[in-house]
Amino acid sequence: MEQWDTTTKSTLTKIPLLTTKAGPRDGAAWTQRLKEEYKALIAYTSMNKANDNDWFRISAANPEGTRWVGKCWYVHNLLKFEFDLQFDIPVTYPATAPELELPELDGKTHKMYRGGKICLTVHFKPLWAKNCPRFGIAHALCLGLAPWLAAEIPILVDSGMIKHKDDVAASSSDSS
Amino acid sequence: MDEELLELQKQFEFAQQAKSSIRLSDRNVVELVQKLHDLQIIDFDLLHTVSGKEYITPEQLRLEICSEVKRLGRVSLIDLTDSIGVDLYHVERQAQVVVSDDPELMLIQGEIISKSYWDTMAEEINERLQECSQIAVAELAAQLQVGSELISSMLESRLGTLIKGRLEGGQLYTPAYVARVNAMVRGAARGITVPMNLSALWSSLQQLLQGMDGATGVAVDNSFFQTLFNGLLKEVEILGSLRAGVHWTPAVFASAQKEFVDSFLSQNSFISYDSLQKLGIPQPMQYLQSRYPEGIPLVTMFIHPSMIEMLDAAIEDAVERNSWIDSLTVLPSLCDSQDAYKILSLCPSVQSALKSNRALIVGESYVLSDGFIKDVFTRLDKEMQTTIPISSASKIDDEKHPIKESKGGNDSGRLSELNDVSTECGNRPAMERGSKKKKGKSSGNPRSSASESDLNKQEPIPSKSKRNQRKGKDSSVSHVSESKRSKEDSVGAPSEEWIINKVLALVPEFEEQDVDDRETILKPLANQLRPMLVTSWNERRRVMLAENSDRMKRVLDNLQKKLDESYMNMQLYEKALDLFEDDQATFVVLHRHLLRTTGASIADMLLFNLDVYNKLKNGIPVEESQNSESVSLSSGERTSIAKSLHGSLSVKAVALVESVEGKQMDIFMTALATLVEESHVTQAVTQANEAKQQWHEEALVATVTRLEGRIDRHRDDQNTPVAIDRGKRDGDDEATNQVNGGNRIRYPVREDDYRGFDQNGFNHGYHDGEGWGGRKRHRKLDLPVFDDKGPDTWLDLTSQVSMENDPVLLLPKVVSLLYLKIHNKALQAPGRAMSIAVSRLKDKLDDSAFKTLMDYHSATVALLSILSASTNDPTHFIHQEDDCASDRIATKKELLESLMPTLKGLVLGSTITQPQVAS
Repeated sequence: MEQWDTTTKSTLTKIPLLTTKAGPRDGAAWTQRLKEEYKALIAYTSMNKANDNDWFRISAANPEGTRWVGKCWYVHNLLKFEFDLQFDIPVTYPATAPELELPELDGKTHKMYRGGKICLTVHFKPLWAKNCPRFGIAHALCLGLAPWLAAEIPILVDSGMIKHKDDVAASSSDSS
Repeated sequence: MDEELLELQKQFEFAQQAKSSIRLSDRNVVELVQKLHDLQIIDFDLLHTVSGKEYITPEQLRLEICSEVKRLGRVSLIDLTDSIGVDLYHVERQAQVVVSDDPELMLIQGEIISKSYWDTMAEEINERLQECSQIAVAELAAQLQVGSELISSMLESRLGTLIKGRLEGGQLYTPAYVARVNAMVRGAARGITVPMNLSALWSSLQQLLQGMDGATGVAVDNSFFQTLFNGLLKEVEILGSLRAGVHWTPAVFASAQKEFVDSFLSQNSFISYDSLQKLGIPQPMQYLQSRYPEGIPLVTMFIHPSMIEMLDAAIEDAVERNSWIDSLTVLPSLCDSQDAYKILSLCPSVQSALKSNRALIVGESYVLSDGFIKDVFTRLDKEMQTTIPISSASKIDDEKHPIKESKGGNDSGRLSELNDVSTECGNRPAMERGSKKKKGKSSGNPRSSASESDLNKQEPIPSKSKRNQRKGKDSSVSHVSESKRSKEDSVGAPSEEWIINKVLALVPEFEEQDVDDRETILKPLANQLRPMLVTSWNERRRVMLAENSDRMKRVLDNLQKKLDESYMNMQLYEKALDLFEDDQATFVVLHRHLLRTTGASIADMLLFNLDVYNKLKNGIPVEESQNSESVSLSSGERTSIAKSLHGSLSVKAVALVESVEGKQMDIFMTALATLVEESHVTQAVTQANEAKQQWHEEALVATVTRLEGRIDRHRDDQNTPVAIDRGKRDGDDEATNQVNGGNRIRYPVREDDYRGFDQNGFNHGYHDGEGWGGRKRHRKLDLPVFDDKGPDTWLDLTSQVSMENDPVLLLPKVVSLLYLKIHNKALQAPGRAMSIAVSRLKDKLDDSAFKTLMDYHSATVALLSILSASTNDPTHFIHQEDDCASDRIATKKELLESLMPTLKGLVLGSTITQPQVAS
């Protein structure tokens, strides 16, 4: 786990680990698993809030809880850049990690698969596989999305690929 | 969907809706604080910690410092910086503020120390001090890591309150310890009875203390002892005086010193500096002078005036009695001669005596009265007259002088010059020499001798002698010439040693002195006497020489006369030898005979007279009677006389003596001639004196005239026709001189000629009547030159023949006379040559006469042979009792006696009418 920065690591260790190994097709076991997922997300969110580091909002988009949508944001140069976030729970979950999507940024960076799925570091997968079934959605966000945002957003902003919504509004107003 | 899941969904929603707490970064906070500062919302100084995470106000810092100090008592600022976490700069600043606000605190060398800390420390120290009885402050300072000055100042304020002890020289002592050391010091100081250097005392005390305390004993500082000592001195617990802070002289010692000096001086009326120095008085002279102003400081001692009175009386007595005194015998034995001299110079009687020339100080301590010196002088003079023959002394002295000159010439030279100035002056150099001698032997008192030279300078020298000293220096320049002159003056005078010996003999008291002292007294005395003796000696010498010169003249005249005669004979006989030249054996025999007889007598006569003359010249008394006619000397005597003559004369004389022993007449003649020429060479004397020279020349002229008269007389005496010839010769003296080949006595007539002779070295020294420095004068002792027999020889022989009664002796005379008659040459032949001599006459005589001669000769030979056969002594044949021999002798004698008249007749018959005169 030495590949991640110290804050990430310390945060990760504080997120409660999950116990149930069940996928969306496992019925009651999946419900159990979903409960654990919620508990972990609550802990992680509250932890972020306590550290004044709140950076996402997600909610289950279907009752089974296999699709999740929400928002995530990053503050760069005192400007808050907010993006839509969506992902599905794969069938082989928890052996397979969910693929996080930032559809707004699709085609704007190399570190992304088609459809806005972010490219995670080479270290993510082995770590996830090693910690299966103890890692859940909260862990995936903490280990995957947060570092990706911290690394990619400043580049994207500096290169002008993305613009702050105020600027967009200003430019649009200028143009209009 | 179960309930729980929904609940969890809501919870999650709620958690996501909840407001997140706001966190500010450090940077933001710093900016905010700065903003606040800029906006004057915070209007006081804010300090931040070293970590940079905290802000702190100065008040808080001060508070924290105070609490820290209160807690520890002593805090270093660096420690404070660490513990409070504020920069040292602020800590220092705030610490100063804290310390200045609080009188209890002090800031020393980066440390804040509170008073209470010192108090506790003092208590600790006190505890330790009570345990150890002494602690070094330096040790404490090292222990507490503060400066010893600081700690001592801290201790001083607490001495007697918190610390029960005493701080002394960087050392803390308990009162008990101080008391103990004080007691030691007092004991030591009281125990000392002689002056001592205090530091030495302290070191011994220190050793004592260390011994008592063992290894733990701390070295006590000397200053501690010193302060204790000074305290004791102030409290009059110990008595004495302290000089230069370290030289302690106990009162008991000072008083003992004083008492000793007092008692010694009052008892003996002198005290030597040596004894004072033994008592530890470093500058005895000043000490005594300040204490006894009436006393008199000398070189080695200090005397009371009564001493002078005593000496004065003794000297006065000695001077009155015309005696002498060694002041050292009157003065205490410690007195050395320098002191004695100084005392003498202070004696009124000596001063007056010196002024009136009635006394003489010799060898610094001896006072000789004038009468005494005069007495010694007269006695010595008498002694000298009897013991020192004037001439021999001169000879001996002549040789000895160079040696003496080298060592003593110095003095004698100066003395002879200074003698006239004053007696005291003459004395001074000798005295100096005396003192030098003193130095040399040092007399077991090196200190006094070392300071002697200084004292010599300090000494107030009487003005007279000062002047004299200067004079002595001046004279040293012209010393060489002076001494040379004096050497000549004193040639033959009695030597110093001689005088010393004589004085010793005359004044036996001097013998009692030990050798060195004797030297010091006798040398100057001898020096004093010597010039006087020399003068008197010269006086007598002069008188004697004046006498002698007359006698010398007489001797010379005699010699001349006799030499004339003998030489004439000699030449006469020599002529006859020519007749025998063809007969070698006889010739030699005749030569030898002539040398043995006539030659020997001439040599003897000449040598004897020369000896007498020499003696006279040197003033040796010669008895008149010895100057008689016949002198015969053995060859040994001859040689000794010849050798006793001096210089070249001796060589020539020896040559003459040897030639007498030889066989050749010619050699003898030349030797004789050279000796005569060389003879009477007088002593070379350089001092010319015109007046005397004048006198000489006159004397010479007188002598010449006398000589002339003598020669005339001599001629007259001859009573022969030669007188005619002489008369003729008198007329043309000058011509003769020029011709210079005549058969005459050659003699110079005029002064000019004499000068010429002088230069030629023909000399007859005429010693001047003055006795000294006579100019060399010469006079030739002439050899009479004859080329033929003299008529006096003829007369002589005829008279001898006629008188002769001994038949044996008659023959040679007759033969001689016959030769004279026939060959006009006198023959002197020994018996052996007689037959040849007679046979030679054969042709010249008529037969009867020759026959008579032959008969007589054969008879004589027979008689002599009989005589020699009968006895060894033919001269006593008359007394022979041998019957036949005596008979024969008697007959022969009768025969000879009968023939005698005939023989006499042979020669005498015709002599009167046949004198042959040489032409």
